[in-house]
Amino acid sequence: MTELNDHAIAASALVDSFLSEGIDHVTTVPDFVQISLHSALVQHDAVDVVLCANENQALTSAFGLTIGGKTPLVVMQNQGLLNCLNTLRSVSLDAGFPFVLCVGQFGREFSTLGDDPNTSTRNCVNKVEPVLEALGVPFWRLESEADLGNISEAFASARKRQGTSVLLVGTYTSWN
Amino acid sequence: MTMSCLEACTAIAKNRSDDLIVSTMTAMFAISHVSPSPLNISSVPLMGGASGIGLGLALSRPERRVIILDGDASLLMELGSLATIAGQSPDKFLHFVFNNNRQFSGTGNLDRPAGDSFDFAASALAAGYAGAVRIATLDELEQSLPELRQKTGPTLVELKIKSGDPRGAETPQPDIPDLQFQRMGDEARQLQAALS
Repeated sequence: MTELNDHAIAASALVDSFLSEGIDHVTTVPDFVQISLHSALVQHDAVDVVLCANENQALTSAFGLTIGGKTPLVVMQNQGLLNCLNTLRSVSLDAGFPFVLCVGQFGREFSTLGDDPNTSTRNCVNKVEPVLEALGVPFWRLESEADLGNISEAFASARKRQGTSVLLVGTYTSWN
Repeated sequence: MTMSCLEACTAIAKNRSDDLIVSTMTAMFAISHVSPSPLNISSVPLMGGASGIGLGLALSRPERRVIILDGDASLLMELGSLATIAGQSPDKFLHFVFNNNRQFSGTGNLDRPAGDSFDFAASALAAGYAGAVRIATLDELEQSLPELRQKTGPTLVELKIKSGDPRGAETPQPDIPDLQFQRMGDEARQLQAALS
């Protein structure tokens, strides 16, 4: 039987990884599977959290912050990513600016943890990677704490390409 | 007498000093004509994006005033941005909405949702903006601008703009040039350099 605890990444470990990449802002529509991460970010003195009414604003405000010299992380849910594809097209694919999106896989069945996320029967999970591939946006899975190194890879890639990198959080982040 | 978009942008430009300007749709072309500057950025092609871009600029550069030249149909697309902006309450944030009750002003002049009954200023106040006013004439705008630039907290100014009649077969249907798709990125890099 799949154990959630084998796959849940500690919010504190995620925050440490993001801070080591120099983030100073988070623009977000809170994600159900990243509530512990959200809480940790809101409480952290080194990060300003911008709560947005929808994911388009999370991207456009991150764009403005980047122009102004800041380093935002964008946090949202898989449904939110699907909601803001045109804005992603505009501020990243067309404008050529780097963003890192941390996207929670809401609806992922526990029974699929440890397997390919695309084995999920839920469209909001199994369509995310194909949509990103169609857009030409690279993604990295965060399926357990063993994947934390993918965060620095995603940031480095975004900076090098001046484009977007997406981190896909496979299940609930934990409260430690 | 109701003002045109160009007249409104000309008045705003005369009072801009070193303010950052984020524009979209019809106002984008007008402000580029009367006040070209590396401190301008256009939300294009991204209808609805101006207010969010402006918020990010205002949060990253709180010492600079940020002016948004938004369209009425554009703001309706991201009306929730009023709450997002109010939640952050940037001190120097002047948000103009060009209300001509039209979408694709000049080239299509299509009706937008809700028509004249929609009150942008009331919406901003309800969302938590520090202030909001409706201005119907160029004289009133010109007289108000010096004071508006001194306001603290997000302030919305709903401008009543002349609207045209729906257009038909006489309207050009242009091949959109590459420039339209490169413009926002180029201006963003120019603005980034100007602010660094």
